[in-house]
Parts: sequence; structure tokens; C-alpha cells
Amino acid sequence: MMLFKKPKNSLEGNPKIQFKLFKDKTDTLSKELFTCKKCKKAYSEKELSESFNVCPFCNEYYRISARERLDILCDSASFIEHDSELTSVNILGFEGYDEKLSEAKKQSKENESVVCGVCNIEGIKTAIFVMDPFFMMGSMGSVTGEKITRLFEYATDNKLPVVGYCVSGGARMQEGIMSLMQMAKVSAAVKRHSDANNPYICILTDPTSGGVTASFAMQADIILSEPGALVCFAGPRVIEQTIKKKVPDDIQRAECVMKNGFIDNIIGRKSQKSYIGKLLRMHMRYEA
Amino acid sequence: MFSKILIANRGEIAIRIIRACKEMGIYSVAVFSEADKNSLHVSLADEAYCIGKAQAKESYLNMNAIISAALASKAEAIHPGYGFLSENSEFASLCGKYDIAFIGPDAKTMASMSDKEKAIQIMKDAGLPIIPSSKVVSDIQNAVSEAEKIGYPLLIKARSGGGGKGIRLARNVEELKYGFHVATSEAASAFGDDGVYLEKFLTSVKHIEMQIIADNFNNMACLGERDCSTQRKNQKMIEESPCVVLPDDIRKKMIQSALKAVKATGYKGVGTIEFLYDGKDYYFMEMNTRLQVEHPVTEMVTGIDLVKWQIRVACGMELGFSKEEILPSGHAIECRINAEDAYKGFRPSCGKIETLHIPGGPWVRFDTAIYQGYVIQPFYDSMIGKLIVYAKTRDEAIRKMKAALCELIIEGIDHNARYNEEILDTEEFISGRYTTDYLSVLEMI
Repeated sequence: MMLFKKPKNSLEGNPKIQFKLFKDKTDTLSKELFTCKKCKKAYSEKELSESFNVCPFCNEYYRISARERLDILCDSASFIEHDSELTSVNILGFEGYDEKLSEAKKQSKENESVVCGVCNIEGIKTAIFVMDPFFMMGSMGSVTGEKITRLFEYATDNKLPVVGYCVSGGARMQEGIMSLMQMAKVSAAVKRHSDANNPYICILTDPTSGGVTASFAMQADIILSEPGALVCFAGPRVIEQTIKKKVPDDIQRAECVMKNGFIDNIIGRKSQKSYIGKLLRMHMRYEA
Repeated sequence: MFSKILIANRGEIAIRIIRACKEMGIYSVAVFSEADKNSLHVSLADEAYCIGKAQAKESYLNMNAIISAALASKAEAIHPGYGFLSENSEFASLCGKYDIAFIGPDAKTMASMSDKEKAIQIMKDAGLPIIPSSKVVSDIQNAVSEAEKIGYPLLIKARSGGGGKGIRLARNVEELKYGFHVATSEAASAFGDDGVYLEKFLTSVKHIEMQIIADNFNNMACLGERDCSTQRKNQKMIEESPCVVLPDDIRKKMIQSALKAVKATGYKGVGTIEFLYDGKDYYFMEMNTRLQVEHPVTEMVTGIDLVKWQIRVACGMELGFSKEEILPSGHAIECRINAEDAYKGFRPSCGKIETLHIPGGPWVRFDTAIYQGYVIQPFYDSMIGKLIVYAKTRDEAIRKMKAALCELIIEGIDHNARYNEEILDTEEFISGRYTTDYLSVLEMI
């Protein structure tokens, strides 16, 4: 019940003078103004990208594309991409996969769910792969595996360390056994890279799951993670449906996984570059 | 006409604007902070949106939240009131970006007037008298010769200054020589720029401002002056219109200057040109590109509803009166009622209002957002109301104000009604010759 009654006054003034009708701009608002899903504060996209897609108020982490990550991590203009032309095809004729692929390419502006190449991090030459959450949530298809394998082989030949950013929903089911085979293929390349005394640093970001967790994400010499990242094989929802019990909220979050010994350290997005640079300096063998 | 306006403010000014909307048949949208959920403006408006925490930075200064509320409520215009975002050009341009009309001047005019140096240059070019000052002085010899031109006493001011830092008073050559060294080194350490300039120091001046209004069709009008010289620490306490000691010829010149300023800036909407008057000459001080706290004084003597005209002009209506038609008559006085203890160092007071009695009678107006049982919050300005009276003569207006102040009862908190009454009783106020420093001279502050 309103306390004050609304007076029955009609809109005054000359009806000829009409303010231009209101345009529904709610759509552009959601694009330009970003509302944090955790703390509900609204700020501009610019502010968000200035803080590396981390909420400046509550420190909630938002997913960022592979290219943005490379921008943050690599020394300026030092990144040289490898195998950028490789792209997935629908080998099995899986229904709807073609549409999904073209949609993913449009959304992420990438050819595949991983970007590989060579760059300098704080002056140290490094082979790097970064998975893109906007390409089918970084799902691992045969091309993803092939690109990462080739990167490890290149790094082994050239005695380079490998830095890898993992984000993945797991193996790409549309490619069936072919995608599962990538787990073994990449693992073999990682082993040869490691046997040649080259370091491999992996950073797990939200979410790292399935076949990626079960292979190269967990094979690094040093495993780092972003705060709050989901790191798992089967996710909490799958577990809940299987065991018909509610699982704790923090289960499979980076902090919990680290407590259980699967992650070496959790590093915030802003300090990742300097931290990785420090690790590389410590572990790189310089040719005498 | 706009069919819906969002009011990006709180307190009495939000109430003032909502009332204008109601009379005009416009839907009003209030925004409020968590601390203001029981405020009058929230219940008086047709819709209300919470925009953040109690601290102004998180709510009433939170541009994104306010724009979001405007878009969610489909408001066509935003009225910023005074204070908060009212003189923020960034906010005005953000409104434009979302096709929301900002009730005020355009962002460019606002930005040029908030940059003091730029504003003074524009007004100087427009032919307004400005306070005599020098260019940046490079050394002592230069300073001394410039000082001769301006005359003592003068102020040595830092070019990049602000917040009272890097300002030195010099009453003679000796003080200038000493002050020059202090001011340059202070400026260098505080602002990283040792450039200083000299400016004439005006003592015992009157603060007189001209209310102006302009539409989009090059019509403009000056609605007379307000004498705002009753100040405590640069805060206005009592305002009146007209100023009794202002000679007619000076008033005419001042009005001409104000209209020149409007023309020079291409100003649209209501605004105020502030002048300093030393009994002989007047100087341009600054321009306020918004509605002012003391606007009711002008409304009382002209009979023009400034808030309604501000809204009309913003939506593209032509001014319904010409400058010849405005003949201010009678006398109006406004006292600001602040929640503070004037006898204990003006300590701010907050808490629950146990009893409230608002004075009434002919030509007595009390603009406020308080009600009995309302809890005054510590987060915002201490002004809780404005008592305005109008009468045919100044003497009658003072009598009426004194009677009204005695009738004002606000129990539960400290307020300054009695202090206002004491000011009205001083010889200086009664004569009308008071200047901006008279409260400190009388040791009333």
C-alpha cells in the first residue's frame, strides 16, 4: 500500500513537443556494463579488462580468451604462432558437429581450441600453449592434441621450456576414440620433452576437467592454478548424480585440490607473469 | 515532455524535484542507498531502486548503478539535483551515450566551467571583470614589479594548486619576498610544479550570485541576484534576495555580465554566476552549472518555479517569459537548517527525530526530507532542511523568519535554528552590509 496517493495530473505541456521515444538499450547495457555475478557490482568492460578480467571489487575470476592471456603473459610482440592453420573436421560425420565447429570458430575467432607458439616471458624464450574457453569450452579434439604434441616436439628439439594454460571440458565427444587417443599421444611427447631435461609448467584455469586433467594437465613438473578454478576429472554435478549425495561446495576447487597435494601453488592472474618468469629463470639450463 | 524522470539524489532536493514531477504529471523514479531505505524520497516517488551501500561513492556517486536504474525503469531523463553527480561531465556524457537526457547543460560546457583556470579565461574573453592577477612569475624581481601593478594585499597562488596548499598572503613587499620562496618550494613539493602567480586579495567582500536560465532557442533571462555572504568556513548559512546594499547601476552591470557569460558559454538550463563585490567593483568568481541549494529564494521573489523550468528547457521547450517580464518583487530569506550543535564546535548530530513541528503561515516554506521518527544518517551532508520566508519588505521578512525559526521544533537531534536566529539579530545582518568574513569577525564561529 502506497503511503502517498498519486495526484491525477495529466502530463503537462505542448503535446507537439515530445521527447524522442525511449530506445530499449538494455542489450547494449549488458554489453558495455558488466555486472559481477558474485558481488553484483556493475562496472564497465574497460575496467574489467584493465583488471585482467578479475572483478576489481570481489576478486571473482572471469574466463579470458587465449589471445588475451597471451597479451598478459608474453613480452610485447614476442609471440610467434605455430600451426595456426590446423583445424578440426568432422571425421566421424557426427550429427551437428559441423554447426558446432563453425559456431565455435565464430565465437572464439580461433581455428581450434588451443593456440600454440613460441614467445618470450620476461626475456626467456619459451614454447607456450593456451587453451581457449570460448572454443567449445576448450574441448580436446584430435587437432588440439596434435598441436600440443607438435609444440612439445618442437620444444624438445630446440631445448625450450613449455608453459601451458589448461582450460577444458575434457575430450571432444564428437570425435570419439580419436580424441581420447590424444591423451596418450600428448603424454608421450611430454615424457620425451621431460627426458631431455626440459621443464614444463602448467597453469590450470577454470575449468580443467576430463581427459585434459587425466593427461597433460597433471604431467607438468610444476602445476599452478588460478584461484577458485574447478580442477577435476568428473565434475561435482556428475558425482552428485552418481552417488546421489550432495558434495561440499569447495570440492574440486583449486584451494581444495592444492590442500590434497595435486597443485603446487595458486597464483593470481596479475602476478602470473612475474611468477612464471621467476620459475623459468630458476629452472632453465643455459647453454654454456 | 518527459514522461518519466529519474532523480539521482537524496534528501530535500530529491523531494523538491519529485514534487515538481507530480505537478507536471511526470512519473518519478527515486534511487537510494542501503542507509536511505526509509527516506521520504523513496516513498514519495512512483518507483525506487536501491543502487548500493551507504557510502556515497558506492551509491549516489555510482554512475553505472544509476544508469542501470534509469535503463531498467525506462526513465527518459535524469535530474542530478545539486552535489553528487550534478557537475560531473563524465556522467552527463554517459547519459547521452544511453539516450537519456541529462537535465543540465551539455558535458562540454560543464567540463570547461569546472576547470577554474579555463572558466576564468573564457569569462575574461567574454568581457567579464575578473580578479586582477598576474601570469606566472618567474623570479622575485618579476614578482615585485607585478605586485606593484596589482596592489597589496595579494595572494601568492600555486599554478597547479588546490585544497588551500601553496597559497600565501602578502600585505607588503617584505611579505611578498618571503612568501614567494615559501610558496614556490611548497608548490614544488606538493604538486611537482613550482609555478606561482599573484592575485589580488579581496577582504570584506560580498558574495553575490546571479541566477540565470537559458533555453535552446537563444532565449535567456537573469532572475536577479542572491546575497550569500553569510558564510561559515565558505559554507553558506543564510541567503537572501535582493541584496539591499547593491546599487542599481552595479546590479544592472552584473546582470549584463551574467548574460554575457551565458552567451559566451552557450549555456542551456539553469545556472548561477557567482561574483565578489567589494563595495565598489565586482569580479567574476565561478559559474555553477546546476540548480543551487538556495534556489527557493529566487523562486519566491520571481514566482518562477526553477525546477519545472529546468525540466521544460531540458526537453526542448521555449522559455515562457522574457527578461523584461521578470520583475523580482518583495524580499525572500532562506536559513539552512543543519543537524549540528552550533555551540559545540558545529559538531554534526545524527539520530532519531522524536518530535517534529514545521512552521506554517503565509509565505513560509520549509523544504525538507525529514519526518517524525526519521533517523538522520551520518553518511551525508548535515543539511536537513531549508526554511524560506517571503514578505513585501526586508524588515517584514526578517520578522517572519525569526517567528518561523521559533516555531520550528526538531527534537532528538541538535540543530542550528537558534544560531540562525542570533545571526538575524546582529547589527551587520540587519543593516545588510555584512560581508563573507563577518561571522568570523563577530567570533560567532
